Amino acid sequence: MEEKKITRKKFVITSLLGTLGLVAGELIRQSHSIDNIENEVDTENKKYGMVIDLDRCIGCNACTIACKQENNTPPNIHYNVVIEKEEGEFPNVYNSFLPRVCMQCDKPPCVKVCPVGATKKQKNGIVSIDYETCIGCRYCMTACPYGARSFDFGENYYDQPNTFEASPYQEYDKIYQRGKGKAPQNSVRKCHFCSHRVDKGELPACVTACLGKARFFGDLNDPNSEVSIKAKGSWTLKSNLGTKPRTFYLGEKRDD
Amino acid sequence: MKRLYFFIIGAFSLVGLWAIYYRLTEGLKMTALTSNVSWGLWVVFYIFFIGLSAGSFLLSTMVYVFNMKQYEKIGKVALLSAFFSLVAGLMFIFIDLGHPERFWHALVYRQPTSILSWEIHFYLIYMLIIVAELWFLLREDISRLVIKAKGFKKFVFKLVSIGYSIPDNSEKLERDRKQTHKWMKILGIIGIPTAIGVHAGTGSLFGVIVAKHMWNSGLTPILFLVSALVSGAALMLLLYALLVPKEKQDNTMLKSLGGLLILFIAVDLLIVAAKYLVGLYNYVPDERQVLLNMMFGERWYIFWVGQIMLGAIIPILLLSIKKGSSTLKALAGLSTILGIFCVRWNLVVPAYLESPMPGLETAFVHDRLLFEYTPNLFEWITSLGLISIVILLFSLALNSLPIMETKEGKEDNGETADGVQAI
Ligand code: SF4
Ligand code: SF4
Repeated sequence: MEEKKITRKKFVITSLLGTLGLVAGELIRQSHSIDNIENEVDTENKKYGMVIDLDRCIGCNACTIACKQENNTPPNIHYNVVIEKEEGEFPNVYNSFLPRVCMQCDKPPCVKVCPVGATKKQKNGIVSIDYETCIGCRYCMTACPYGARSFDFGENYYDQPNTFEASPYQEYDKIYQRGKGKAPQNSVRKCHFCSHRVDKGELPACVTACLGKARFFGDLNDPNSEVSIKAKGSWTLKSNLGTKPRTFYLGEKRDD
Repeated sequence: MKRLYFFIIGAFSLVGLWAIYYRLTEGLKMTALTSNVSWGLWVVFYIFFIGLSAGSFLLSTMVYVFNMKQYEKIGKVALLSAFFSLVAGLMFIFIDLGHPERFWHALVYRQPTSILSWEIHFYLIYMLIIVAELWFLLREDISRLVIKAKGFKKFVFKLVSIGYSIPDNSEKLERDRKQTHKWMKILGIIGIPTAIGVHAGTGSLFGVIVAKHMWNSGLTPILFLVSALVSGAALMLLLYALLVPKEKQDNTMLKSLGGLLILFIAVDLLIVAAKYLVGLYNYVPDERQVLLNMMFGERWYIFWVGQIMLGAIIPILLLSIKKGSSTLKALAGLSTILGIFCVRWNLVVPAYLESPMPGLETAFVHDRLLFEYTPNLFEWITSLGLISIVILLFSLALNSLPIMETKEGKEDNGETADGVQAI
């Protein structure tokens, strides 16, 4: 009896100390990296960014279609949308277009809130989602100020996916195929600058497809790249939130 | 009566199990959630139950840490309901995950920047504390039950007693009781910051979201905490007035519990007023518009009828009737709890109904991209089933453990179960 009690006490104390140790360890391990996500971006390597010239956009949605095709996205998922607004007073009304992709923020609120680190800021500037790790809590969707994330509910255009939908496609460095319960279903998805194409040295599908040549993509670390030159004088969406987007806009500033 | 009660609640629980099975096999497409309203009814229930748990726990510390003897009679039931509410909250967050089978990722791939990750750890530590407190409190009674019971029941009791048996002489028993007292205090002291962390932390989940202006305020965690206290006090009032037979009720305690509830409600109202009035003052669209929609939009009644009438005015009126019977007090408790549910709804859902980028709502139209949300039947059935499962477990525990007993008198177990039925 007496002995038993000592072990119980020891057990409680050890486990309490253990918990404290874990917490302290985590804090120390992460303390320097918490707010330095940006500094982690390797300046030696490529650091991708996109510039969208709104004055050249004609609102044709070719980018949206190309994106849906490239990433085989189901009906409710939109990596790229073109927000269309009517502006001006009658009789001088005109449509304005604002293509919205994932901003690949340098201070991404979505990355900060993910409880399992499934969504990460990559060294090349792209914010990725690991479909095999994501638990589908949808916290990141709540945190994104640009509505850039959508949830894959597992719905398809056809109840039985047609041959196009059922064919294999690539995202990040993996091959996926639509099927009940298979990744990326029940996870969150978003634009990733077609990272699988970029890795192969190709341009994102939307940039290739753009009719008005409104999109520019490339390495922002290289001051002579087309995208770096274009980025001068550009602005970003909701810059007051401090998310530091890597998608820049040219043309008349249309904040919100 | 007792049979009937268990039959009904058991049937609902079976429905709950079916719904969970269906949810796990079919995925989140069973819900009415969209990509823009990413959190819905289940998250509302989740924060509701976590709040109920934290509130009950904090009330129990009044007895075990601050030695407020007058509340001793609700100490045990407060801890027990803290435990079961936490279980309910965790069940709701579990079925809300897109990949419930990966829930363990949260413990393995910890992420210190994420409040949610911290919260999951907090919940577990908090649960350990409650279980330890319950064990210390009840071990004497349970080991008595082990001696009395037979067969399967004996096995179960033995399991929950974790090997504790009553010492054979009264001297040792006295010593054990002292030990219990000491540990209750220690665990309670650790428990207070944990419980605050549990619920204020749950509030910070929302408070830190810069994308939703309406949440993004330091008042959000405080609001969560205070409304947790409101719901905890209301639940205690309800349970005590219902479960303890009228002639054995301690009226002074009921009265002071009622007074406590009024105080909590008043502080809660103050914070709500501060937060909402400040939000309405300026023309920040995703704050002012959200608040206007909440108060005067299509669902105005959730705010005015639910949050204000049920959650504040009715309980205050009922509790201020001088010679009010305990039934009135129970009603006041029930009405407050329903009101707090509306508070939780208004904390979560309205913020999603405004588009973060004007024009996004028409840029790509699909059912799953709406900025609208009404929980569908399946979500309600699942919630009802889950809650039934927890109430069933709770009443089984109440039925077999001497929770409501005090030194003065022991109640008949049959009546205890009848009482629960009315909830
Ligand atoms: S736009 Fe949204 S999803 Fe993309 S990196 Fe920024 S916060 Fe994350
Ligand atoms: S839904 Fe997935 S990616 Fe988003 S926060 Fe949750 S676990 Fe991370």
